[in-house]
Amino acid sequence: MRNIKRALGLLLISSLAISMTACGSDNAKASGKTSSDEVITLRILENDTAKQEGYLDELLSAFNEAYKDKGIQAVDANMEEYSNLAENGPYGYGPDVLYQANDKLMSYAEDKHILALNREDFECADLIPEEAWNAFTIGVNGNKYTCAIPVNVQEPMLFYRKDKLPENWETDWDQDGDKTPDFLQSWSSLYQLSQQIVTESGGEKYGLVASCKDLYMMAEFDFSYGGYVFGKDENGLTNSEDVGFGQGDAAKGMLGLRQFAGVMNEECIDDSIAQNRYVKVADGTYFCSISTPDTYVLFHDRLADVYKAEGCSQEEADKKATENLGMVELPGKMPADGDLSKNGDTVETVVMGGVNGYGISAYTEHRDACIEFVNFATSREMITRRAQILGIAPTRSDVAQEMGGTTEMIFGSLSAGHINLMPSVKAVDQIWDPMGTLLSDVAKDAFREKKGETVKYTDEASMQEALDKASKSIYDAIYTLSN
Amino acid sequence: MKTGNIKTKCSYVIMGLGQFLYGQRVKGLLYMAVLALYLWYLVTSGIGDMTGFFTLGTVEGDPWLGTKGDDSIIMMLRGILAFLVLIAVIVFYLSNIKDVKNTERLVEQGKTVPGFIASLQAFVDKKFYVVALFLPVVGVAVFNILPIIFMILIAFTNYGGDIVPPKLVDWIGLENFIQIFSLTGIKDTFVKILGWNLVWAVCATAINYFGGLLLALLLNKKCVKGKTFWRAFPILAYAVPGFITLLGFKFMFSYGGPINYYLKAFGLQAVGFLDIDAGWKARIIGLLVNAWISIPTSMLLATGILSNMNNELYEAASLDGAGRWKQFTKLTLPFVVFSTTPTLITSFVGNFNNFGVFYFLRGGLYLDGYFLASDTDLLINWLYNLSIDNNYYGIGAAVSLIIFLITSVISLTTYVNSSAFKKEDTFR
Repeated sequence: MRNIKRALGLLLISSLAISMTACGSDNAKASGKTSSDEVITLRILENDTAKQEGYLDELLSAFNEAYKDKGIQAVDANMEEYSNLAENGPYGYGPDVLYQANDKLMSYAEDKHILALNREDFECADLIPEEAWNAFTIGVNGNKYTCAIPVNVQEPMLFYRKDKLPENWETDWDQDGDKTPDFLQSWSSLYQLSQQIVTESGGEKYGLVASCKDLYMMAEFDFSYGGYVFGKDENGLTNSEDVGFGQGDAAKGMLGLRQFAGVMNEECIDDSIAQNRYVKVADGTYFCSISTPDTYVLFHDRLADVYKAEGCSQEEADKKATENLGMVELPGKMPADGDLSKNGDTVETVVMGGVNGYGISAYTEHRDACIEFVNFATSREMITRRAQILGIAPTRSDVAQEMGGTTEMIFGSLSAGHINLMPSVKAVDQIWDPMGTLLSDVAKDAFREKKGETVKYTDEASMQEALDKASKSIYDAIYTLSN
Repeated sequence: MKTGNIKTKCSYVIMGLGQFLYGQRVKGLLYMAVLALYLWYLVTSGIGDMTGFFTLGTVEGDPWLGTKGDDSIIMMLRGILAFLVLIAVIVFYLSNIKDVKNTERLVEQGKTVPGFIASLQAFVDKKFYVVALFLPVVGVAVFNILPIIFMILIAFTNYGGDIVPPKLVDWIGLENFIQIFSLTGIKDTFVKILGWNLVWAVCATAINYFGGLLLALLLNKKCVKGKTFWRAFPILAYAVPGFITLLGFKFMFSYGGPINYYLKAFGLQAVGFLDIDAGWKARIIGLLVNAWISIPTSMLLATGILSNMNNELYEAASLDGAGRWKQFTKLTLPFVVFSTTPTLITSFVGNFNNFGVFYFLRGGLYLDGYFLASDTDLLINWLYNLSIDNNYYGIGAAVSLIIFLITSVISLTTYVNSSAFKKEDTFR
């Protein structure tokens, strides 16, 4: 017994010694900065779509081939798309270069987790419009700094079925005779078409159905009427104390959203539509829906599935899906008074958008090599490949022109101020839930009367009150507990 | 101290020196090595770590300028570790005093002072529990106590919001607790959520417990054919990961889900089971979904306990004229409750802190009258909204301390007043 105890005691002690030895860290190994003395290894964080579609592999291979003689190689950082640089970077675990949206990158910039960059170090600098650069500009102690290189613009797009256009659209739905259906140009016309589809199908089919609780997709009902996220201070920098969702005639726009929700179905109130929209557009239940350009492939594949189920080969199904799936910017005109049932004066549609770009971690040990990489990744050749593979709208004017079509249209909208970019401050994190809740409630309001429930938003005053409450809720979330 | 001889007194000043002078060279050297190691640690980083614990840093980092700066959070962690090491050294010091006194006594009695190997053998033999528990205790200290102390201390700092590294964090005393109980929006939200949280915890625990018990009793009936087959169904529900089940239920109750599909197919209106106005509808769905996930566990527990029931008690009760209900309330229930009181308390605490149900069913809603929360959120969900979604770590830690206090008081009070505690020997 005594021997057993002794043996057990020794075992425990030795296991403690071994485990304590194992606790010793090897920072060089953990950081993975260099694989040898000569070769600099950069860790690149890209988004999941770029990985899935094979663009990242192509980019890394091309870069590694081009820089093999210069002792620089780039590898996938192998981190979660939204891994937190602020938490990992200071301890040597973050990526060296990261591709993310402007709100995310600039929240890092506020605490200096990404480097301030010199625009002249980048070959693409003169080809990118000032609006895109502004998304990555931050003011520190009265000076302005650029903290990332813009790559592409994102905005909500309308996905529709070309083969489901009304047969008489050229005679009845093209009043200006520009060979483009009015309902792709005007929200009032799209509302009227949706109303017609619902009536004719006895509520079996719908025109536009989109997620009304998604601020990113529905911000046009606020921004087009003078609303905004945050105002600007005297230096032109974002002032998050000025929450502007209730500014201007935003209440009129929100009443327009409520009106439109009435001709959608109730799936627009919750998250159902975010899952269903690809299938429902593909099977023809919805004529169109709203999503971001990077989801084109999902709409396309679901439509191809429908054609395959009808007996087409894979090739034929893909071809038919490409022919019949349309992706355009949201209609450019909204009714000035917010009443979608009339065809009166209009205002220009202003949507919410974002700019994705490359930032360089402030914790990288290879600043110059990172600049080389970003220069390579933002070169004309690589941005063209990115646009071809991922369907993005580049901020480089030369590539946008070359690609033409929707890409050029989005680029034009950014330059013309029709895209209100997400503010590049940390406080933007606080806008989504309060506004999402309000938008969901506004959409639900459209169905309350039918169910015998009390309607909440009967006029502009009640809508204005709700917008003001949401803005205050956002302000409180930012400032009540701020230090 | 006053009674010891000079050799013993040496160990008061230099750990192990007394043992060394008494001829216990190896043991003395080991004690001295521990002291030397600690002094080396104190000089190289210990004193700095302890000071840093109080200052939480003085130099703010600036990655753009390459200024490294102090990391307040790491300094707090290192400070806690330094104090834990200090406690460990004090324990060593006290054992050194005790040991040298023992040696002194042996010398006074004219006995031979044991050598190192003999001492080690005697220690392993007599104090085997110390050897066996040493590793687990170190593990608990590092992986449990350290994070708990860290979390408690965060509640007394301004960590969160704009104050995240590289900015320096400061101690702010009870400021976070004062904010919770004084700021109108936060105080009202806290009171509303706490009220609902208590109702939820009581109802959820009762439904799950009695649901499981009834199911176990039903499947225990002799008249039920194919018991194994029927028991497999709750086990299947239990085997599916909870969050998958919750996402499934969220879809089922959504506007685009099957329930609303069939409601509309029968000519009825779609129901917003979980939307903004849902209120008690959503709360009741939450309770039922939670029952779906949890009842199998309590059913299994009750099945095991019921198998230990003495059937003679029921026969005797029948002879005395007790009906089935009487037998249930006077025999089955007391026996099961007695055996499961600790589990019941665990279940109550688990339900009180049930994060998943409303996070998955109804996350992302901020309602009027609530600060960063909705009417179905529990304190744990609010804590998540504050600390993870909105980075208010300090306030989040304060809320979690309050949750800890509430659940501890309720659990202890219930346990101390339960028959499982008062009549421990009743069913032995």
